[in-house]
Amino acid sequence: MISYLIATSALVIIAAIAGLALNLQWGLGGLVNFGLFGFYMLGAYVCGLFSVWGAPPLVAMAGAIVLVALASAATSLISIRLSEDYLAIVTLGFAECLKLFISYEEWLTRGTLGIPGIVRPFAAYVPQGYGDAAFLGFAVLCLVVVFAVFERVARSPFGRLLRASREDPAVADTLGKNVLVLRLKTFALGGAALGIAGSLHAFYYTYIDPTQFGTIITAYAFMAVVIGGRGSNVGVLIASFTVIALLEGSRFLIDVFPVLDGSQLAALRLFLVGAGLVAILIFKPDGLVREYRLRATRS
Amino acid sequence: MAQLLFNGLVTGLLIALPALSLSLTFSVLRFANYAIGAQITLGAYAVYLFNVPLGWPLLLSTAAGMVLAVAVGLLVQALAYEPLRARSSVTRLVASIGVALALENVVRFFAGNSPRGYGVEIARPLRIAGLRINQEQITIMLSVLVALVLVWVVFRFTRLGRAMRAVADDADLAAVRGIRRGRVVAMVWVLASALATLAGVLIGLDATLDPQMGWNYVLPVFTAAILGGIANPMAAVAGALTLGIASELATLVMAPHYRAIVAFLVMAVLLLVRPSGLFGKQWVAK
Amino acid sequence: MSAFELEAVVAGYGGRAVLHGVSLSIAANGSLAVVGPNGSGKSTLMKTAVGLVRPTSGRVLLEGGDVTRLDAPGRARRGLGYVPQEANVFRNMSVRENLKIGLEFVPGRVRASFAQRLSAMLELFPELEPKLGTLAGHLSGGQRQMVAMAAALMPAPSFLALDEPSAGLSPRNAALLFEVIGRVARYGVTLLMIEQNTRLGLGAADEGLVLVSGEVKAKGPAAGLLDDPQMRSLYLGSR
Repeated sequence: MISYLIATSALVIIAAIAGLALNLQWGLGGLVNFGLFGFYMLGAYVCGLFSVWGAPPLVAMAGAIVLVALASAATSLISIRLSEDYLAIVTLGFAECLKLFISYEEWLTRGTLGIPGIVRPFAAYVPQGYGDAAFLGFAVLCLVVVFAVFERVARSPFGRLLRASREDPAVADTLGKNVLVLRLKTFALGGAALGIAGSLHAFYYTYIDPTQFGTIITAYAFMAVVIGGRGSNVGVLIASFTVIALLEGSRFLIDVFPVLDGSQLAALRLFLVGAGLVAILIFKPDGLVREYRLRATRS
Repeated sequence: MAQLLFNGLVTGLLIALPALSLSLTFSVLRFANYAIGAQITLGAYAVYLFNVPLGWPLLLSTAAGMVLAVAVGLLVQALAYEPLRARSSVTRLVASIGVALALENVVRFFAGNSPRGYGVEIARPLRIAGLRINQEQITIMLSVLVALVLVWVVFRFTRLGRAMRAVADDADLAAVRGIRRGRVVAMVWVLASALATLAGVLIGLDATLDPQMGWNYVLPVFTAAILGGIANPMAAVAGALTLGIASELATLVMAPHYRAIVAFLVMAVLLLVRPSGLFGKQWVAK
Repeated sequence: MSAFELEAVVAGYGGRAVLHGVSLSIAANGSLAVVGPNGSGKSTLMKTAVGLVRPTSGRVLLEGGDVTRLDAPGRARRGLGYVPQEANVFRNMSVRENLKIGLEFVPGRVRASFAQRLSAMLELFPELEPKLGTLAGHLSGGQRQMVAMAAALMPAPSFLALDEPSAGLSPRNAALLFEVIGRVARYGVTLLMIEQNTRLGLGAADEGLVLVSGEVKAKGPAAGLLDDPQMRSLYLGSR
């Protein structure tokens, strides 16, 4: 039971960080990142590879953060002149290609065999049997840091500029070239958080392979943002710790419903995620928590 | 080399139907439908349901599967997209990811994850003018060409086609001219679902059926539609052929499983250089 | 019986009324020009007339029948032709297709084939004859207005609403267009137009109505309004 609880909490915290990243990119900046799982995957692989090559865990994580931020910035550049529809497909394209690359370039990533033996931070100082609890503590710390930084960003002049350019194309037009820089920074900053989320994923499982990464990660992040209320970091946290916790917890329902086999239960869960996402968009368009702002108008 | 060009043509034709479907929904409904992949999968499995468990012949099963897929398409439109009609196109785009996830997992729930195939005999490939041609490739070429000609005729010469183009061009003006948007939208889903189903069957014939099959086509399909200038259904076909041939030729220098990467590179270069698409923005005029 | 009537119409957007009880009526085959300053509610009046805005109270009558609850396609089917402002042709379709669509989705008051109606329209707008195969988006502003009017007239509607026909045209082209509108008015259709350019608008209609702040300030024969010095200085500007 305790191990279920720890496992669910760890996954929820990682999902919450990914949700916060998307909330910055899409919620605040209006930039649709459909390829979120690709950046997350990149984070996990960079961290995992650096780690098995002998880098200390925190250095590996720093590497992941920097590289994912750079990759995010580069991807957003491709579609910088275009509308959100295009950014969505470009990011998705990046993610799918990355997954292909990782699956086939065995010399680098060991392909579908995956990378085992990733070392968690501070593993040497943690007594035997407390590894998961210590990891949970580290993950909470990461979540707190990301949350604090993104809250500051949301309330800074940069955050206000982002919201303004998202809601009013005229503002975006007057900003002209600066929109480019704005988008780039937003995407990079969100990417850094995805680097953290991916690294935590690698640390938690200590083994990664390409099948662990897919659209479901993206969908969870979108759910967290949509349920929480676009633009609200607090909302993302609430949504992660309720809805995503429930969904993740339902993994363990398999003992309760013996009628359905494991893959059917998984399909049912994913169906609910998809249908739920649509339902929230229809019935609760503003989400649970209002975005931080002075004036409340919204389309 | 000729063999590569031929294979590229067939690949392009496979992409052409969903690309046409995608740009049809985009031009009338004004949002990028990421559920196109799931619609392919759903269609393929709908046909499988009639073909294998019920034992109907493939042609009849395809027709029955299309009816089923069209019903699902109309249901999704009514339940998911219609309530979001007044919202931003990005909202519907996000909703379509939800729809994609839901549809794909309906398939997984009932059919499981293991690959399946239609009940067809495997025939020996033909040799024509030095080309090695499979029976499936002939089926694909003929079906796609017939479907494309049909859609083109509907677009160009029928009242329904004019109504679709009118709503795509200017929805408000179309209403003023007495065109009921709801009916046009419904017909767009009928066509789009039927095209996706046909694509699903052909992809299933070419390889196997599995719940991921449609998702793997999302990237090439979007690339083809963007190549054509996304709101231009007939140019999406040209985009698909271009992409199909380019990705086959790329196997000369890249491993074949990297076709998706070729699609992505083509798209990235195109978006940087010529965002309005290779074939301009307008509907085929003449 | 009037061909078209608004009865004490109150209408606006999001609960805020723009029209405060506007009434007007147009006799069969008559023409009315609604003029007034910017923001007077002219375009809300037009949208209410054609079914794009639903009034919160009051009635809209077309040939004596209540059409208040019908949407725009519904009113089109009842014989209401509408030429919107500027975006009024399908730009990616040929002129011929634009005309065909004008006829295809409304039952039409007269039984006539496309060919018959097409030749009637080419008689009224001979300028369009050489342009039939051209994409409407490639035409000049004045030509597009003609295509739009012809498309609206294809089903031989009893009533035609023109929304700011001179918008976006040079003064010279606007004058030419109003010559064409004169032809349309004589063609045998009840005409309602709203127009920014007072002189042109009132010059092409039998009756005029001055709308200010969503209320009717004056109505009467168009010529009389144009000549009334008080009207001109108060509401119509010097144009």
